[in-house]
Amino acid sequence: MSALTDPRGAVEELTRPEGWVLGVSVAFLLFLFVALLTGALGPTYFLFLVGLAGMYALLSFGLNSQWGFAGLINFSVAAFFGVGAYGAALFTASGSPLAELFEGVPLIPSLLGLPVVGLVVGLAVAFVLAILIGIPTLRLRADYLAIASLGLAEVVRLIVLNERWLTNGSAGVRGIPGFFAGWPVLGTFPEAMPGLRLEVIPGSPVLLETAFWRASLNVLLVLAFAGGVYFVLRRAHRSPWGRVLRTIRSDEDLARALGKDTYSFKMQSFVLGSLVMALAGVFYTHLNLYVGPGDLDPITTFYAWVAVILGGSGSNRGALFGGIVIVTIREGTRFLNDVALPIDPAPLRLLLIGVVIIAVMRYRPQGVLPPQRELIWPSAVDGGGAPESPDSGVRERKGGGGDE
Amino acid sequence: MSEGALAKQDPVLAVDDLQKSFGGLAATDHATFGVERGTITGLIGPNGAGKSTLFNLISGFYEPDGGTVEVNGTDVTGMEPYEVAEHGLIRTFQTPRKLEGMTVREAMLVGPREQPGESFHRLFTSPGTVAESESANLAEAERILAEFEIDHLATQPATDISGGQMKLVELARAMLAEPEVLLLDEPVAGVNPTLAKKLKSQIRRLNEQGTTFLLIEHDMEFVMDLADPIVVLDQGHVLTEGTPEGVRNDDRVIDAYLGGGA
Ligand SMILES: Nc1ncnc2c1ncn2[C@@H]1O[C@H](COP(=O)(O)OP(=O)(O)OP(=O)(O)O)[C@@H](O)[C@H]1O
Ligand SMILES: [Mg+2]
Repeated sequence: MSALTDPRGAVEELTRPEGWVLGVSVAFLLFLFVALLTGALGPTYFLFLVGLAGMYALLSFGLNSQWGFAGLINFSVAAFFGVGAYGAALFTASGSPLAELFEGVPLIPSLLGLPVVGLVVGLAVAFVLAILIGIPTLRLRADYLAIASLGLAEVVRLIVLNERWLTNGSAGVRGIPGFFAGWPVLGTFPEAMPGLRLEVIPGSPVLLETAFWRASLNVLLVLAFAGGVYFVLRRAHRSPWGRVLRTIRSDEDLARALGKDTYSFKMQSFVLGSLVMALAGVFYTHLNLYVGPGDLDPITTFYAWVAVILGGSGSNRGALFGGIVIVTIREGTRFLNDVALPIDPAPLRLLLIGVVIIAVMRYRPQGVLPPQRELIWPSAVDGGGAPESPDSGVRERKGGGGDE
Repeated sequence: MSEGALAKQDPVLAVDDLQKSFGGLAATDHATFGVERGTITGLIGPNGAGKSTLFNLISGFYEPDGGTVEVNGTDVTGMEPYEVAEHGLIRTFQTPRKLEGMTVREAMLVGPREQPGESFHRLFTSPGTVAESESANLAEAERILAEFEIDHLATQPATDISGGQMKLVELARAMLAEPEVLLLDEPVAGVNPTLAKKLKSQIRRLNEQGTTFLLIEHDMEFVMDLADPIVVLDQGHVLTEGTPEGVRNDDRVIDAYLGGGA
């Protein structure tokens, strides 16, 4: 990659917003680093936040592959997230009602407690749910999916809240193991690691103990999930498949006239996005080790939408960026508790998000990191001998931020 | 089948007794006609005669109330647009369609049908095949853009080009879908005379290479020069069909344009 061999050139090639994002990120990382060293930010809690950021990135990836790619309006992000979370939780938790339900049934009890099984079940349920909601709505105008998904989110939440025999109702599910429980090496890694004590600044030592190592495994897991998903989505986005979706987003009739089975493409995009959201839910279960009906509140859907619009609809790196910003705002406002403020941080958080959205819509309606202007399968552009930068196609014009 | 379609030796498109009404308005009123393979057939008629509605019925965008549409001898009545396209019929729209966020050549690449890269799993199981076909399609797109003398627009944003250039791109893209019969809805509406001349010569050239055309156009000079035969539509039904000369001198046609057919 050119960024490694020629870092200066790579930086110079960035568009203005890209450079801006890079600068702010570096400053933010430095700030976090200092906070970690001085003990102002506990390392275990920091890793938890990284996990949370990865989870929001996954949610944004999922929504981006529906709304950003194909223009599908899905207001049930929380439902697909919840299905993944509850699927994983119910199949792995020690206190799961499923253990009682399946007592005496062959095979199934031996599968309970295995996180991989929970993962598969969570994704499978999301898959079925996505198809069921897609069949009646994706043939109709875009608004029907929006309305149906709004209803779906509430239905799933109410089922989780009220079907106590299956979900434990409002008590939620406890006793969830880490994702790597029972794995060779990784399963016992946190306990096996020695406790470390770093004292960079005299008097405020930084302790790295079992909880820290457990949290670093979670970070590893979310990096694997998010990295894998990013790889898949990036390839899909640049492919002829992604191009059909973008055509549908801008003008579905044109895609139909050119012989594309738009219903099938929309279904694929919807299912793909829903699976990614469920994956975020699975990860959350093993990160938080507790899930409750509150996790299905519409606020999760709201955050995912904000992240995608903020980052730039249709852009995978934008979704990643948006996800991180959301977690920063969500968790950063907690620290404001320490500072005496005349206002409660909870409403302040929403206010802050509102201000950010308005600012973005006003000054950069396409989002902070919108997709590249041209998306063609990379090697095809190389082979064609086109003058554009080979790896990334045509980028946004330099300094293309200000339309004013 | 009635006479209009039967009269053709080798119809690539046959429309028989097609009907469609919106509320009380019969937009298509027992329309019957055929398009002979290898021709450039014109479709004219006053505003509101039902020309665009007919295109929508033929290409599967509207469901007819009655009658049949055959493409290449296959009954495609009631099929989805993409299925009609699979039988070799591609259409363009009266108002140009913009593809937001795409460059011109990228928008062109939507044209080719059945690309291996349109199948999600093949992106991962056979990326080599996908890359090969993408390279071939890109080369073909750039070749057609060059033939249309708009290759300098290739990497422009598709939304930044003029209305006339957009019409050229639409025609070029439709050609990438390799249609046997191409339906053009007012290809030179709003296009300046120079570009219109260019479009005309492109259509003629593509026709000589084997594509059949059915085109709606209000520009009489354009259509009379290019098309033969010409089908005249009035209030949803076929008034007459004939050579440009014959149509021009037909009193019923003159009446339809002047007096609303009363
Ligand atoms: N979707 C629709 N719903 C209701 N009425 C319609 C619809 N589409 C067309 N019509 C009506 O059907 C009639 C024929 O319309 P159409 O667009 O086919 O005419 P046209 O011959 O293409 O006209 P023009 O030359 O102005 O494009 C008009 O009276 C129009 O108002
Ligand atoms: Mg019309």
